[in-house]
Amino acid sequence: MASTTRRDQVTTYRGQTVVRGSSRRSRLDAQREWVLFILFMLPNMVLFGLFTFWPMVENVRLSTQRWDMISPVRLDVGLDNYRYLIDDETFHRVLRNTAYFTVAAVGFSLLIGLIVALLLNQPLKFRNGARAVVFAPTLLSGAAIGIVWSYIFDPRYGLMAQVLGWVSVSSPDWLNRPEWAMPAIIIVYVWKNMGFAAVIFLAGLQAIPRDLYDAAKVDGANVWWRFRSVTLPMLSPISFFLLVTSILNTFQAFDIIRVMTQGGPVDSTNTLIYYVYDQGFTYINAGRSAAAALVLFVLMMVITLVQLRFAEQRVHYG
Amino acid sequence: MTGQINRRSLIKGAAGAAVGTAALAASKRSSVFAAPAVIQETGSQVNVVFWSAFGGKNAEVEQEVIKRFNESQQDVVVEYQYQGTYEETAQKVIAALQARQAPDMAVLSEANWFRFYANQYLAAMDDFIAAEEIDTSDYVESFLTEGQRQGKQWWMSFARSTPLFYYNKQMWAEAGLEDRGPKTYTEFSEWGPKLLKKSGNDVSQWAFLHAPAVDYLSWPFQGTVWAFDGAYSDEEFNIRITEPNSIKAGEWLRSTVVEGWSTASQDRTTDFVNGVTASIMQSTGTLGTLIANATFEFGSAFLPSEVTSGCPTGGAGIGILSTSPAEKQQAAFKYIAFATSPEITTYWSQNTGYMPVRKSAGASPEMQTFYETNPNFRTAVEQLAITKPQDPARRFIPAGDSIIGKGLEEITVNQAEVQPTFERVKATLEEEAKPILEQLKAVEG
Repeated sequence: MASTTRRDQVTTYRGQTVVRGSSRRSRLDAQREWVLFILFMLPNMVLFGLFTFWPMVENVRLSTQRWDMISPVRLDVGLDNYRYLIDDETFHRVLRNTAYFTVAAVGFSLLIGLIVALLLNQPLKFRNGARAVVFAPTLLSGAAIGIVWSYIFDPRYGLMAQVLGWVSVSSPDWLNRPEWAMPAIIIVYVWKNMGFAAVIFLAGLQAIPRDLYDAAKVDGANVWWRFRSVTLPMLSPISFFLLVTSILNTFQAFDIIRVMTQGGPVDSTNTLIYYVYDQGFTYINAGRSAAAALVLFVLMMVITLVQLRFAEQRVHYG
Repeated sequence: MTGQINRRSLIKGAAGAAVGTAALAASKRSSVFAAPAVIQETGSQVNVVFWSAFGGKNAEVEQEVIKRFNESQQDVVVEYQYQGTYEETAQKVIAALQARQAPDMAVLSEANWFRFYANQYLAAMDDFIAAEEIDTSDYVESFLTEGQRQGKQWWMSFARSTPLFYYNKQMWAEAGLEDRGPKTYTEFSEWGPKLLKKSGNDVSQWAFLHAPAVDYLSWPFQGTVWAFDGAYSDEEFNIRITEPNSIKAGEWLRSTVVEGWSTASQDRTTDFVNGVTASIMQSTGTLGTLIANATFEFGSAFLPSEVTSGCPTGGAGIGILSTSPAEKQQAAFKYIAFATSPEITTYWSQNTGYMPVRKSAGASPEMQTFYETNPNFRTAVEQLAITKPQDPARRFIPAGDSIIGKGLEEITVNQAEVQPTFERVKATLEEEAKPILEQLKAVEG
């Protein structure tokens, strides 16, 4: 039973004991908590509102206008910008490119990241050094990486051509051929981001209790079955986290494309985020750029929601 | 040491500062308060903020020009601020105009200034030209008139260039060719296969490399399309790229890749320096880079002709922003007059490779001696006689360069059919021209 203080008036109302002072005080407490809550939240909410939500609302408005970012007049054009996107062959290509890039870049980053993590989880010599090396590209600037890889991909005097030469394969003209430019971008992106996935996977691997493996061994499970039935399910929350963040990051990958190909040749590496930039700053068409940005936003939101809704159900949180 | 700080001196200092502040506050109210001497001295000077777009060695040369200007007189101080490439500078000026923090003048490329003019953000220079008593007849006419609309001067040429045909003399000799550029595109097509070296599918030496769309492919091709007596557009923005002569130019472009002696390259300048290609078309502004990096002897020549000759101008000039007060506009022009004076033009041109914008500078004994020792610089100046401003479709339609360039890239990269490709380019250009035409109608009637 709750204790009451001396000052509290204890009365009985319709057979129930009511502690007046306490209820008044709890109401005051609640108010004080609200005030505190608002005081704590307000700076954040104001900043969020000012720099995230307001620009988003403004972006929606801009997507229904035609504006060259310099003219004092913005023309209302209704849904014309969206109609343009629906009809624009380049935009269709951009959507296909984005899908291609996202699936390949995320798929390979996670797959190779997992393999590397499994290797680094073994009691190897120089393991810590190897971990640092694997993670290092993640920390580098995308623009700098882009410049260096442009040289590596040169079909005549590039490092890649030499490596391919060792196995008697002639180098494709990576950045000048539409069919090779996207694979080149994907290779660089995976190289840069695989280390991050590997480190996160590694943390997940090390959190798996050893006795699960011991039990599996006792049950006669071989290496493959231990991986399939213990490692993979236990890694599922980590994999899920990596999947969501990698997809979102890949959608926003801009620096490497800007530096290495600028969306070319013939739009073969033009992805949604690059298209937003291109329409904004090459075509000086803020309205169309805003419409494309909104498409990007909606796509990312839908994908994230779908993932949260369906994928999470399959995730095993141990 | 006398400057040692201890707690006592700190407290004394703080007290002193407080007294000083109080005294200052009191004196501010008094009518006899006088500004410090320094401010009085510079009070009559006009400070001009100048946004520029030259990097590397050209930036050093430009800063020297500004230094000389600031030292040459007492009325104006130019404050130099580097903003990136031509495109980045234009983007920043646009953003600054929105934030009402625009500079007083800015370097604007031949393809960018028009956007500011069409939105009435450029100040006409005619009154300033008159006030400074500038003899405009000494300016190279095509450079001067390019910045004119409605009979007024809105933009002044400063760092102007043209494409040149550069060739590797050693490869030329190996192919048994005369030491000169091809006279016509037809002749170049005959030479192309002779300059190609390949074994199986591996090409070790291309005869020629095309620029990618993002590196202004539509700029040298402007010369090609004119040479075939075609055009991107006329002065009224009527798109002419699908006319038979323009298509012929496109067919020539396509033939170079179909016949296999040329292809597209992301970085043709580096490829030329590394001996991957025997020739390229590139800006006069690249001459310095080529001289510094090429380990072989190379020549420069006019762009080839065909039915007629064709070569576009390029590069940048300076615009004065109309958002600045009249006093600053006037002061900004003083710098433009200085930077395009015969003396500075000579200095700028010799050190950067950009073409002299003043006739007297180009003809000066100093410049003539320079050309004697650097014959490649002379080619550009001699070619000037057949050079003209590009068609409005490329210069004035936002992304005009990119739209035409991507069409041309379809041809150089994918060997796309010319007619349907140019039809698509035409449709896009017409669509994108609409807003600028409306703006022009509003501004020029």
